[in-house]
Amino acid sequence: MVEVTGRSAVGGHGESVAAGQTARSAGNVSGNSAGSSGGAGRSEPLLSVRDLRVHFAGGGGFWGRRTVIRAVDGVSFEIRAGETLGLVGESGCGKSTTARAIVGLVRPTSGEVRLNGTRIDGLSDAAMRPHRATVQMIFQDPFASLNPRLTVGATITEPMAIFGLHSPRDRQFEALRLMRLVGLDPRFLNRYPHEFSGGQRQRVGIARALAVQPKLIVCDEPISALDVSIQAQVINLLMDLQQKLGLAYLFIAHDLAVVRHIARRVGVMYLGRIVELADSADLFAHPRHPYSQALLSAAPLPDPARERVRQRIVLEGEVPSPDRVYAGCPFADRCRRVESDCRDKPPQLEGARHQVACFHAD
Amino acid sequence: MTQPVLEVRDLRVVFDTDDGTVRAVDGLSFALERGETLGIVGESGSGKSVTSLAVMGLIPRPAGRIVSGAIQYGGEDLLAASPRRLREIRGRRIAMIFQDPMTALNPFLSVGEQLAEMTRLHLKHSARQARDHAVAMLEQVGIPGAARRVDDYPHQFSGGMRQRVMIAMALSCDPEILIADEPTTALDVTIQAQILELLKQLRRDRGMSIILITHDLGVVANACQRVLVMYGGRIVEQAAAGPLFEQPRHPYTEGLLRSIPRWDGESTQLLRAIDGQPPNMAHPPSGCAFHPRCPYQLPRCKVETPGLTPRDAAGGGFKACFVDVASGAVAAASGAVASGAVASGAAASGAAAATAAAKQ
Repeated sequence: MVEVTGRSAVGGHGESVAAGQTARSAGNVSGNSAGSSGGAGRSEPLLSVRDLRVHFAGGGGFWGRRTVIRAVDGVSFEIRAGETLGLVGESGCGKSTTARAIVGLVRPTSGEVRLNGTRIDGLSDAAMRPHRATVQMIFQDPFASLNPRLTVGATITEPMAIFGLHSPRDRQFEALRLMRLVGLDPRFLNRYPHEFSGGQRQRVGIARALAVQPKLIVCDEPISALDVSIQAQVINLLMDLQQKLGLAYLFIAHDLAVVRHIARRVGVMYLGRIVELADSADLFAHPRHPYSQALLSAAPLPDPARERVRQRIVLEGEVPSPDRVYAGCPFADRCRRVESDCRDKPPQLEGARHQVACFHAD
Repeated sequence: MTQPVLEVRDLRVVFDTDDGTVRAVDGLSFALERGETLGIVGESGSGKSVTSLAVMGLIPRPAGRIVSGAIQYGGEDLLAASPRRLREIRGRRIAMIFQDPMTALNPFLSVGEQLAEMTRLHLKHSARQARDHAVAMLEQVGIPGAARRVDDYPHQFSGGMRQRVMIAMALSCDPEILIADEPTTALDVTIQAQILELLKQLRRDRGMSIILITHDLGVVANACQRVLVMYGGRIVEQAAAGPLFEQPRHPYTEGLLRSIPRWDGESTQLLRAIDGQPPNMAHPPSGCAFHPRCPYQLPRCKVETPGLTPRDAAGGGFKACFVDVASGAVAAASGAVASGAVASGAAASGAAAATAAAKQ
């Protein structure tokens, strides 16, 4: 599969559209950057994302007509220090592209990304560099995301050297400390990635991310390539590190149970937008958006007795192509609650702690 | 007691690799009952996919070899069947769907041509009949506009629709047995729900027997009546789905169930993970393959390989463990092997007894 480079449109569709110009035009909304996350404290959020849009130029249509893939289309959320926000949704919903836009791997088309109050979207590579240490990323595929020619030690010390952290001698000690921290035997310092199992490689990836003392780690499907019995080890490690180091996570996964377990707040994405954003416990117990309800009802539980009696909300068809422009709600065509007003204007996320973008939510 | 539609006895499959000879499947016995969905659960390297390839006669040679065993289907041993006879059975009587429909479909042929190939070969359809049948099959698996889409190529279908095409191909000759190897792993959860519903419908309406191979315990709970749990090329537990999930009797099954989070309950702080790594089957652990990771480990687990014994006195299913997980006590009579009288597939228990007896 093509999952290695992320399932976003980045691989196939080339440059992000008009990154520079539109990014600036959104600058005037900076005044209200704190606020809509339900009034959870007055302190500056660690990460604040406002009306983020990432559009890609699609392939030439018939007669050479260019299409625009709206991978992310107006996403806003905040993450506070030490907190975990989960993003769930199906392939093509824009969750991975959102992650990549935050760490600067793709340029946002518009909207803003603030780290401790400072805008980091659309920065040049050089200007972005100091922020890179604050936000790190771990990837889905621990086989593709590690350099096969670097030993574990070199893999972990490389980012320290890039950021000028520690003396060369101390970097070795730091690498050993980090290996212990993530549960790797320090004797493996001089081994190569191919000598490790998937779970161990993911630990190497985590140690490398930690090497520059980040505040936020963006985790894009960090366990979905691992065996079931290994997934829990990595989830436990991430939660343990959060406690010890006060890390914040943006945790992206398609496995709802994993996100429910690790995230305090969860956003459900559909066609490039967040349709529901709430505290994890609340969202999974009482989903209010018709799409969230369908998504949860489709996710099987490891419990045959429950499975026999569960009612499923069957969605017709599949997620439509993200190159369509919607006047109203993009979910309207598949929604069992659709009414005429749904097609007139797009619903916005509304509410205090439990936010829903639906005119007819429960 | 009805005859099982398929019976695997003491199957052993090895692969030659750079790392040595891997015992991929190591003495596997089970029976598939008519009209049931049997789940085979295990992690990568547990032997679950190799089992399905062996049934289909698709073990890649010369790297892979079936060392011993029998696969009984309708009074004949598939392992002894000629390649010609196997070709008659494969696709016609026993069909298979794979995890990744993009690599399993031929990108140069329209889906209609690929469907027609099946029925022209096996059912001797004319070109006309085959095309009509292809359209009917696509309709049956819920592809909208089947008459129009029959001429489309695989890349013109979405992932979920491609998997439906695969299922349509597998079903086109109305097989008795369907083997589905991770059929929904590459799919999104809402599409997964549609495909699982389709499989259930086939079982209900056609009385099809299904082997569903997966690592996803949620999928098993949703779709299977009976479950085999595999570890290191062997069955470690076998039972009806309800008892297996409610009261696992093998430490590995118990560990798996405890290690997965659920989205419907309270989130606990830490998951109870299984320590360690899955075994390297080129150099498997001595004794029970799970012993290095097992919290109940006894000295004898390092030297003896436990055979399958009844899970409990009530007689539902089998487990391969010296320890009584439910009480924490060591099973008294681990040498006493299942008598043939145990429920849930007498044939399977007979086969299990044979396997275990051969070991003593």
